[in-house]
Amino acid sequence: MDITAGTIALTLIWGVAIGCIYMLLASGLNIIFGVMKLVNFAHGQFLMIGAYLTWTISVAAGLNAYVAILVSMIAVAGLGVVIERLTFRRVLGGEKLNEIFVSLGLIYIFENAALLIWGDQSQQIKSPFYDMSLKLSTISITYDRIVAVFVVIAVLVGFGLLLYKTRIGLAMRATSQINKTASLMGINVERIYMITFALGSALAAAAGGLYGIIFSFNSQSGSMPTIIAFAIIILGGLGSIRGAIVGALLYGITEQLATLFFGGIWSSAVAFVLLIVVLIIKPNGLFGEKGE
Amino acid sequence: MPLQQQITMFLRSKSFQLLVVCFAVLALIPIFITDSFFLFVFTLIFIFAIYAASWNFLANSGQGSLGHAAFLGIGGFSSAIIGGRISNALIGVLGVNSMPIGALSVLIQVSVLLIGGLISAGIGLLIGLACVRLKAWYLAMVTFGFTVIAYSLSSQFDSFTNGINGFAPTTFVPGGYSFYILVITFAATSIAVMYLIMKSRMGLAFRAIHGNEAEARMIGINTAKYKLIAFVISTFFAGIAGGLYVYFIRFVDNSIFSPANSFLPLIMTVIGGLGTLSGPIIGAVFLTSIIQILSLQSVTQSLSSTLGPLFPKVGYAGPPLTYLIIGVILLIIVIFSPKGLTSLFRKFYNYIITEDKPKGPKTK
Repeated sequence: MDITAGTIALTLIWGVAIGCIYMLLASGLNIIFGVMKLVNFAHGQFLMIGAYLTWTISVAAGLNAYVAILVSMIAVAGLGVVIERLTFRRVLGGEKLNEIFVSLGLIYIFENAALLIWGDQSQQIKSPFYDMSLKLSTISITYDRIVAVFVVIAVLVGFGLLLYKTRIGLAMRATSQINKTASLMGINVERIYMITFALGSALAAAAGGLYGIIFSFNSQSGSMPTIIAFAIIILGGLGSIRGAIVGALLYGITEQLATLFFGGIWSSAVAFVLLIVVLIIKPNGLFGEKGE
Repeated sequence: MPLQQQITMFLRSKSFQLLVVCFAVLALIPIFITDSFFLFVFTLIFIFAIYAASWNFLANSGQGSLGHAAFLGIGGFSSAIIGGRISNALIGVLGVNSMPIGALSVLIQVSVLLIGGLISAGIGLLIGLACVRLKAWYLAMVTFGFTVIAYSLSSQFDSFTNGINGFAPTTFVPGGYSFYILVITFAATSIAVMYLIMKSRMGLAFRAIHGNEAEARMIGINTAKYKLIAFVISTFFAGIAGGLYVYFIRFVDNSIFSPANSFLPLIMTVIGGLGTLSGPIIGAVFLTSIIQILSLQSVTQSLSSTLGPLFPKVGYAGPPLTYLIIGVILLIIVIFSPKGLTSLFRKFYNYIITEDKPKGPKTK
């Protein structure tokens, strides 16, 4: 492919769109980590389930794909509550490695259950803007990517309002600081954990819906996004919302530029090189607090 | 305590006797059970036992790697490539018909595997340098990321590695029983060496770092140095396991860097019992046999024919059901018996012992 100003501009826009999807996923991961101090390596599997549910709802009920995302967010939030109750609550606060092991078990269960239920063929969600694109002189951008950016902004604004303008958000922020004190202040910490996990899963499901509209996906599609989301919040610094946003955009753009210049094999590798370099220079991430 | 004394103590200890007995029994089993499937599963079990033990060794120094597949793959690729070069050179010098056999070929095989381990350890040293300052999640991410990078590199330099299509290494030791003996010799030596290190002063430092890194540093342990040493030793053994694996299945391609391979030693160790000597071995026995037995053709076929109709979207329901079951087993063990099967066995053993003993004073 010729590298012209047009292709670079297009690549940057793609990077921003993909970065936005990762931003949703990373925010969900970040809120779960921030409030519960829980590392959920199965987070991307919620994205995969969210994508499949959106696909099923939009196909079976004939709903608009973007409306189907809302329904699947609610369903995945419910799934998150069940998972939190049955598994993570039992290992929370114990040996840190156990949380990783539980997530690994969940990865195996989700991936293979999805394979059994939805089959091994890749799917893609058909949105109302399917096959339509915006043409600007030499470049053309599909509408879905532009809509994705706006959906992400809308969801993140809603998330921010919930976190900073409501009593539940206040309780979540209090729990994230010191959970014992929060519980002395009359906050039901277990309930906050449940809500947080449901919220994080719903964000992952939203990311999944957008992912499924832009890319084709199968039951294995969850693993890589999890790792990417982790890379993003580590890049930005654990627990930092600003960091997650900057990290996600940086990641998306780097990934797309790497694909443009070095070929598809390198798309994820270059981003990890970036991650390792950042961590060698700043072990706490770009915006991480000292002592985290 | 000087090393010599330590080794003498180890040679006299009960665990060493147990090891010798186990080794002898395992070496003799295939003579009585000549079924080739058994030999296959047993060989695989001990290759994975080395791999899981190397992961467990690293975890004992407080470093949980999510990318051990990188070192499995580096060990596998480098020993296969070097083995190929050596065999080509030998053919050039000696001709095809007078290739070394017997003891000499075993020697070549062993040194090729050791070179693979050393290369893996060398790269482990470089990655370890980046990792020693990092905390748990960061370390997990960097190691995982390195596996992704290793995958890309092996695909990029395909003309050198043949990573995309894969290739079969030239074997020096014939498969079957002789390869099995090679594998259990390596397994026994590797596990004994790791055990000895864990029992030494260095092992004490590792466990102190695992317990609390800040406190370990406070009492004068050079934590960065010891973490790096643990990383190098662990990646050395992972590399050896990789070499054995590649020479055993007689094929290597870049799918060896898959996340599934990174998660394998972790799951084995957890199922067996984290931080124990026997944990990784028991986990390897348990998981490898389950995977191999459930993926036997007759089993997958019967699974597909009984449960398959429930899942019309999948052509072959056997393998996903297998892994679904493994996931459930992992969850159950982590939640209900976090110390793994080893602790369950111990509880069971204690239970039997206390049952046998008469309660109250003995009367005759």
